[in-house]
Amino acid sequence: MGRIGIIGVGHTKFGKRNDASLRELAFEAYSSALDDADIVSSRIDGSVVCSATHYDKQRSPAGVVAEYLGLNPQPTFNVEAACASSAVGLRTAWALITSGLHDVMAVVGVQKMTELSSEEIQELMGRAGDVMWESPFGTTMPAYYAMYATAHMAKYGTTEEQMALVTVKNRKYGSKNPNAMFQKPITADEVLKSRPVSAPLKLFDCCANADGAACLIIANAEKAKKLTDRPVWIAGLGLASSPMSLAGRKGPLTSFDVTKNAAKAAYQMAGVGPNDVDVAEVHDSFSITEILNYEDLGFAKPGSGTRLLEKGETELGGKIPVNTDGGLIAKGHPVGATGASQLFALTKQLRNEAGSAQVDGAKIGLAQNIGGIGMYSAVTILKA
Amino acid sequence: MGFEKFGRFGYVSQTKINPLLSYLEKGQIAATKCKKCGRTYFPPRADCLDCRHSAIEWVVLDGKSNLITFTNVFFAPPVFQPETPYLLGLAELTNGLRVFAPISPAVDKEQLKPGLELSLKVAKGSGDNLYYWLE
Ligand SMILES: CC(C)(COP(=O)(O)OP(=O)(O)OC[C@H]1O[C@@H](n2cnc3c(N)ncnc32)[C@H](O)[C@@H]1OP(=O)(O)O)[C@@H](O)C(=O)NCCC(=O)NCCS
Ligand SMILES: [Zn+2]
Repeated sequence: MGRIGIIGVGHTKFGKRNDASLRELAFEAYSSALDDADIVSSRIDGSVVCSATHYDKQRSPAGVVAEYLGLNPQPTFNVEAACASSAVGLRTAWALITSGLHDVMAVVGVQKMTELSSEEIQELMGRAGDVMWESPFGTTMPAYYAMYATAHMAKYGTTEEQMALVTVKNRKYGSKNPNAMFQKPITADEVLKSRPVSAPLKLFDCCANADGAACLIIANAEKAKKLTDRPVWIAGLGLASSPMSLAGRKGPLTSFDVTKNAAKAAYQMAGVGPNDVDVAEVHDSFSITEILNYEDLGFAKPGSGTRLLEKGETELGGKIPVNTDGGLIAKGHPVGATGASQLFALTKQLRNEAGSAQVDGAKIGLAQNIGGIGMYSAVTILKA
Repeated sequence: MGFEKFGRFGYVSQTKINPLLSYLEKGQIAATKCKKCGRTYFPPRADCLDCRHSAIEWVVLDGKSNLITFTNVFFAPPVFQPETPYLLGLAELTNGLRVFAPISPAVDKEQLKPGLELSLKVAKGSGDNLYYWLE
């Protein structure tokens, strides 16, 4: 297998983007990725457009996005894996390039959500659970993750105060990220006093719905070396699935097997382990999710993810800084764009361009992106 | 009779496991069992995963279960908003199979914890909707 490199990255401002449509958001991210790679659009021989299309008004968005980006008549692929759409899109593009069918591709993660209300969005997200056996009872994404939180609290004594530390940390880093939806730090007290969404999760334990796009331009080793002198290499790709229904899952619901399986595959392919990772982006859809992710990725033992937080080990300067761009909680979560946004942040870190969020000497980065309530999980390892 | 009657608000109207509704009407909760290998499925399945046979029979469950986890939902999709807050739970039945179900509002919230013994019972929704909940 030849190496595949990321040669350019782009990112829009995330948030309530009532100034822009889906195609325009995609263009912003794509255009800045071309500038970043310092290449012209005609170099791109195919696009992968990643979006959970039920939130967009546009059906089959790859069609209009490829047109608006000027990427006709090259092949375009629509990839949907709920919140993990663009991590799965990257795997798709990786396989297409490895196969020899393509040389240089654009992976465009894009989502336009805020034309819908949060209630309407949660109705759609509830149907990203099992639509026969769970959605008819009024499920939502916060409700599903709250059930994992309840189980983790009961088994390990995890507290709401500990969960609040995730939001405090990520909002602190969000305040340094001009692309983040929320630019203001927040206190633990504000998190704890926020209104309940699905107990034990409260408003500030949740990520927010948002509009936005992020783009990665990737190329085979030969082209990557020719086109740029600072490629970031895709060293490991892990992807797994798990039953969509909670009833179909095993164990006490205090961890995600799907992430453990994806992590195992990614570590194996990259030839590294959790202790080798210098900087990580994990899927903090909710505060509790970040804690579970520490454990499932092997950064902490089962039940002790909260200790990493309390000791500041996932802060800048700690053993393994996590979500130094603010994570989903501060950036907002434009579902299809989030995976590419995580890889944008890691690429900046590994090129030593992360500014005040820079992890000194970062060489190995890991991104983890969960789809929906954990029916998909993708782990991607990048090397400088 | 369409399966959209299942639940507080059903989304799926057509399925092979429609007979579940007739059991619910009789006040019973039933699982499917593969006629060839005997594996039991709940929620019911029309097709056996082990031997790929689709000849099934229905077996009535006793409903005894242990709670695995739960949440109290305050922010809900529009059709469910009038019922907020409501409890959702995941429980394990005595045969080891699991069920995702609402928890009856009659259950004392303060008592809820993983391991709590509850019983899966038939519940009536608005109109002629039918489902099950933990009580
Ligand atoms: C938590 C949630 C239900 C709140 O929605 P809501 O009560 O309808 O809130 P609104 O969208 O009306 O926003 C009201 C205000 O709160 C803010 N807000 C909304 N959600 C927020 C969040 N999660 N964090 C911080 N602020 C938030 C909004 O920006 C808005 O502020 P403004 O008045 O200054 O503009 C919604 O954010 C949500 O559904 N989050 C989860 C998304 C999700 O599940 N994603 C998939 C994860 S796998
Ligand atoms: Zn069988």
